[in-house]
This record gives sequence, C-alpha cells and structure tokens, in this order.
Amino acid sequence: MFVEMNHIKKSFGSNDVLKDVSLTINGGEVYALLGENGAGKSTLMNILGGVHQPDEGTISVNGELEKFNKPVDSQEAGIAFIHQELNLINDLPIYENMFLGREPRTKTGSLDLEKMIRDTEEIFQKMNIKLDSKKMVGDLDSSYKQIIEICRAMITNASIIIMDEPTTSLTDQEIERVFEMMVTLKNHNVGLIFISHKLNEVMQICDRYAVLRDGNLVSEGLVKDVTTDDLARFMVGYDVRTEPLSRKRDLGEEILRVEGLTYKHAFKNIDFSIRVGEVVGFTGLLGDGRSELFQSIFGANDISSGKIYLNGKDIKIKSTLQAINKGIAYLPRNRKENAIIRDMDIFENSSIATWPKFSKRGVINTYIHKDKFKHLSEKLKIKMGKRTDNITSLSGGNQQKVVLSKWIATDPKILILDNPTQGVDVGSKEDIYDIILDLADENIAIVVLSSEASEIIRVCDRTLVMYQGVIQGELKGNEMTDHNIMRLATGGELTNKEWEANYGK
Amino acid sequence: MGNEMVVNSRTSYLEWFKYKWSNDPLFSIFIGLVIMIIIQTLVLGFDYNSFGSWFQSWSNNWINILRNNAGIGIVALGMTFVIMTGGIDLAVGATLVATGAFAMALLDVGQRGILGIIGVTGYPAIILTIIFVLIFGYLLGSLIGVSVTKGMVPPFIATLGAMMVFRSVTQHLMQGYNPRVPVEFLQIASFKIGNLMIMPIIYWLIIAAILYYVSKRTTFGRHIIAVGSNERAANLSGVNVNKVKLRVYALMGLLVSIAAIIQVSRIGSMDYAGAGRGMEMDAIAAAVVGGTSMMGGRGFILGTVYGMLIIAVLNNLLNLFGVPPLLGDAFKGLIVIAAVLLQRKDKSS
Repeated sequence: MFVEMNHIKKSFGSNDVLKDVSLTINGGEVYALLGENGAGKSTLMNILGGVHQPDEGTISVNGELEKFNKPVDSQEAGIAFIHQELNLINDLPIYENMFLGREPRTKTGSLDLEKMIRDTEEIFQKMNIKLDSKKMVGDLDSSYKQIIEICRAMITNASIIIMDEPTTSLTDQEIERVFEMMVTLKNHNVGLIFISHKLNEVMQICDRYAVLRDGNLVSEGLVKDVTTDDLARFMVGYDVRTEPLSRKRDLGEEILRVEGLTYKHAFKNIDFSIRVGEVVGFTGLLGDGRSELFQSIFGANDISSGKIYLNGKDIKIKSTLQAINKGIAYLPRNRKENAIIRDMDIFENSSIATWPKFSKRGVINTYIHKDKFKHLSEKLKIKMGKRTDNITSLSGGNQQKVVLSKWIATDPKILILDNPTQGVDVGSKEDIYDIILDLADENIAIVVLSSEASEIIRVCDRTLVMYQGVIQGELKGNEMTDHNIMRLATGGELTNKEWEANYGK
Repeated sequence: MGNEMVVNSRTSYLEWFKYKWSNDPLFSIFIGLVIMIIIQTLVLGFDYNSFGSWFQSWSNNWINILRNNAGIGIVALGMTFVIMTGGIDLAVGATLVATGAFAMALLDVGQRGILGIIGVTGYPAIILTIIFVLIFGYLLGSLIGVSVTKGMVPPFIATLGAMMVFRSVTQHLMQGYNPRVPVEFLQIASFKIGNLMIMPIIYWLIIAAILYYVSKRTTFGRHIIAVGSNERAANLSGVNVNKVKLRVYALMGLLVSIAAIIQVSRIGSMDYAGAGRGMEMDAIAAAVVGGTSMMGGRGFILGTVYGMLIIAVLNNLLNLFGVPPLLGDAFKGLIVIAAVLLQRKDKSS
C-alpha cells in the first residue's frame, strides 16, 4: 500500500497555505512530517483525511486516483486520521469506543456486544496489548487512550494512519508504550505519518522525514542521514541554538521556602527553597506531582499539611487571587484547557489577572492595561493583528506569549512556569527561553516545570527531580544530564561513585 | 467623477453591512428588530394626513408594549448573566411570587399587615417594604447561589428545586389571606410623567444601562465571561469563580424582587398560583434571541434588550393579526429557534 500526494496546492482566502507539495508514503514505514506551526502540515493532512479539498493536485492510493470529498471517503480508502484531541467517549467502555459510529447489530437490531468485545480483544492480542476491553475509557491514562485510537483505526483496516502530535500530553514512559505500538504496526505493514515538534522522538522512531516551511516542501529524506540540528534548521530556515542558556547571576535572598508540604497522595513531605534570581527546574514523569505541588502553592489546590514561607514569613494561601497579590504567578500546563479564555480577545486574555489590581470600585482601568499590554506585546514579540482579535486567531506560540504577558503584568516575585513551551513552535520557544532568563536577571525567582529534560538542562541553574510525589534528588550545573534526570525520575538514586563516573570530579 | 463616488460609497455601504453582519453579533439581532418594527408599523397603518394622531396611537401602543414587558425584561437581564456563567435559573417565577407575597404581607392595610402591626404606616412603610423586599430577593438568590457553589448542585437542579419550594411555601402561607396594598404603593408603577405611565419602562432602562456598564467595564462583568468561557482558566487567573457565581444568582434574586415590586404596584394583587409561571422560559428566550450562548461565555445585555423587544413586538403583531392566543407560544418558539439558527449561520461563515 502506498499513498501519493501530487502537486497539492491550497489557499484560504489570500493566504497560500500549500504551494505545490508532493509526498509519497509507503506501508511499513514511519514518516515524519515536520514544520513550524503554520507551515501547512495540518492543512496537508486535512486534505489527505478528506477534511479539506485541494485547489490543485491529486491524491492516489496504490497508483489509483482518488477524490476525497469528505472524511469518510478517505477512511474507506484505508487512511485513518488520529487528531490531537482524541475522539473518545470517556463514559463508554473500550469496546464500544472501538466501534463508535459503526456499531455492529444483532438480527433484532440491538447492539452486538459479544462481537464488539470479541473483535476488540482480537485486535489487542494482535497488537500485543494487555487491557480489559470492558474498562471505561475515562479510567485509562493518555497513552492508552492514544493506543485505543490506533486500535480503532486498525479495526477499520486502515493501512495508513496519520498521528497528529500523539505524544504532546504523554510522559516519557507513556511515549515508550506508544512507540512500541507503532513498531508493531510497522511490522504489520501499516504506514504511519507522525507529526511532531519533538525532534529526538523523530530520530528515535521515524524512517523518513519531510519538512514543510511556508507551504513548501523544503527537505525530504532518510532520518538516519540527518541530525536534530539539521531538522531544526530545515524547519526554521536558519541555525537553531541548542547550547545551554543559563547565565551567571548573583543570587539574592531566599524568597520561597516550603517545609513538609503534603496533599493527599499527590505529593508528600516536600522541602525546598528558592532564592531571588534563580531559575529552578522541576521535572519528572507522569504522577510525579509537580503540577499539583505548585498549584497548591498557587492556591488553586488545597494542602493537607506543611508550611509555606514567603520572604521568611509563614503564609497561608487560600485562593489564586491571594497568591497573585502576594507576588506568585503560575502559568499552567495545557494552555487550551487551563489558560485560554476563548470568548475574550487577545487584550483581555493578557490582562485578566491584573483587573482587580487596577480597578476602582470594581471598574476596570482600561488605560493602564492598554499601556501595559502595548509595552509587553513589544517586549515579548507577540505577532498579532489587532488587540481586539480573538485569542484563537493566534498561533500556539503567540497564544503562549499572551498568557506569559498576563503573568508578567502582575509583577510577580516568583514566576512558576508549567510546561511553558508546550505546543509552541521552535522560534517562539527560543523567544520564551530568552524572556525567562531576562526575567531572572530582573530579580524574579523562576520555577520551570517541564517533562522535557533538554529544556530543563538548557534553561535552569539547578533542578529538582520528582518521583511519585516526593523529591527524589537535586541536580546542579553540569550534573543535569538526560541520564541523571531519567535515573532519578524513574525512582533511582545516584551514588557518589556515579557522580564521579559521570563527571570525573 | 461624482458618479464614481456614489458608486464607491454604495459598495462601501454594502461592504460595511456585510462586515457588520458577519462580525458584530448584535447587528443581525438589531436588523431583525428593525424589520419587525417596520412590519408592525405597516400593519398599524401609516397615516400622513393626520400624522399627529397617528403618532399618538403609535407611541401609545409602544408604551403599552414596553410597560407590559418591563418586569420580564428586567428578569431577562439577570438571566443573561446567569446563562453567561454557564448556569440557568428556573426559579425566577417562583422567586417573583415569593418576594411579591412578602411585599404584600408587609404592606397589608388590613388586620395582619406586618408593618401595620408594628405601627409603621404611610410612606415610611413603603420605603421599608422596598428595602426588605430587595434584601429578601437578594437572599433567596444567594441561597440558590450557595447551593450551586458551596453545595456543588448543578444550577438546573438547584433552581428546579428552589422553584418548587418557593412557590409551594408561598402558596401555603398565603392561603386564605388577601392582603390589600395601600394606594400610595401603586404610584411606584403608575406615577405619571406628563400624562404618560412610563415608570416601569424607566426602571427597565436604568437597570439595563447599569448592567450594560457592569458587563463591559467592571471586573465582575468581565469575570462572568471568563467563568462561563473557561472556569479552570478563570480560576488559575485569580478569578474567584464561586464568588462570581454566587453574586450572579444573588443579583438575579435582586432583579426578580424589583420585577415583583413593579408587578404588585401595577395591579395591587398577586395570583400566587399563576403569577410568574413560565417567566423563566420567557427570560431565557429573550436572552437566547439576544445572542446569549447556553454554553456560557457569550452574552450581551443590549442583545437581551433587543431579544425582549423582538418577542414583545411579535406578541403585539400576533394580537393585531388576530392569531388565536393559544397559538402565541408556537410563534415565540419559532422565533427563538430562528434567532439561534441565524446566529449559527453567522458564526460558520
């Protein structure tokens, strides 16, 4: 089985999104489709999935010309599209999700549950997955949900599966699980199109790659012939920095200290302290509790026991507003669910946190906010049309900068950034790193929570690694390596010998 | 040259219209209202020769429409806020009856009037009554708000329960009791300005103007949108979500009590079984016609005023056409659905 896309052109209004792109994807290979946000990846895949129709160009499957007018046409030709937002119903069991919209029926017209369960288990066996098909999908973690989506594609006999950033919301362990599944699919001669921003994953799992930039195919070839630096360069069109960024800085007084902080099972007995001007990383795998820990410090969650000291003073934070007033800011992970307010414009999204501060008897002072926003949008290089445009009109990177501007506007003393570069293109990512370090220079204590070790290593002065709700260890300076972080994040310990072996100190 | 300019301005008017139509959500609602008013005017018959008397009857008809819808118009404004937070309030009709009954029990000039018993009569009694009734409405609304926020009862359920409780308790307590309201109290609604009985309309306009300002320029008003659009994100941006919701339901109760005072002062009595029945649905309908999204996050005070007027003019038209009264709701229902369809179409284009 192979799919050819020939000379595809597509424009929306005056915006040429795809300018003559040709690709061939074969069965039994993992094909990486790369590019910055807005490069045309999604449009290309939406054309292949039958969501959009090309202005010019053809698609052929096994050499036969096909026309996909709607998604069903594409599915019938053996192409499955797994979107970034999974289409699963949490309140239905796995087997019903597998047959959603194509439920088999018995002669009397009722659902043929036996067949659904039988077929599901057959697929699980074939794919070597150990899961109870009667489990509710809502009880599964993200990686298994991704796997269920893949199995659903298999049940329709798809031979090409498009996976749109399947690993974004997964931890390293879960990613491994999905990768294993992808290898199994390859062995069953299924072709996979893998869309991702994570280049090391591309190196690990993909056979061939294609890079789109501004609607053109700028590079195509075998993954083994290139490095991640090459790919990044193809994507942005210039050399991308990978060197560590952390700067030498005189550290100030201790600003935040936490003692014995515990919340139910999320995190236990957490002790740490942060000084002014420090950039401290927190990393770990899923279930490490770092997000919950800082949400508690930010007043969004409760605390069962323990103490928080701000500037040496014992404080109790009962609400997020209190935390903001005390100079704590928290940029949450999963921007779309936790940070973006779709019914408000760019300006409002960037100023919501400071409304109470700059208002008199409840009336918002828009002038101050406009001033602040003008200043911040220049400082953060936010690319946008009008201030009053909808927030969703911006690319992921610029949305994140708007969210960041909201927190900088609160004049925080401590800025907590939870996965700050999630779903952000390479260019904006570098911008955000620069902003983080500039802020640290301005004597703000910065906490970066990230599941990407490379991010932690590049930006942070030191990092605390968490494992199942406890701090497993601390790494400083050049102790911060992928290896050490992974060792601690999986619950291991580092002996003195190992330090020496790793660094020859 | 001159010709060209005319052509240009024409196309630019058309462009402007197109732009407004697809970008300003209130524009299509406003156009709908204008069209309905034109139809209504044509049906009433336009008369050049005796413009004065025509205008007299036209404006009289309008004052009637507005006065009859002032109470529900005020309630619909509060409902807009409630729906914008992603909630709903089914208890407004029952709250109206409860607060209305409370007002009458306070004011009663007979044997059992509460204020009369403690010796307060005349204008002080009326002022006290207004204050107490407003507080009572605010408290009933807060009660619903607390059960929605602290009790985490879904708004539909909480207000469904409140609806049954408020009306049933009121009916029970007021059984066999027919309070009489002092004539001075009736002045609240029937005081004439230049021979026109427009007080309820003025209340409506003032409240609409205040709430418009609140929704546009205050933290409370903008927080309502944030909470309805994305509750989690709002909370993580320092918005006290529960406080916003609580205040929205309390405000709803307050507005209903104002509507109750207007209603009692208009007729001097209240039918505890029938008054306010279906009011919640009419208020929701006005908000929805005015562009408020039942999903929360999107809503317009001005839109709700338009929506209320559209429904009111429709009722008036049905009257003028002699449509059987029982069919009235069918047309109302169709208008609601049509309005939502119209707005849906805008969004996708």
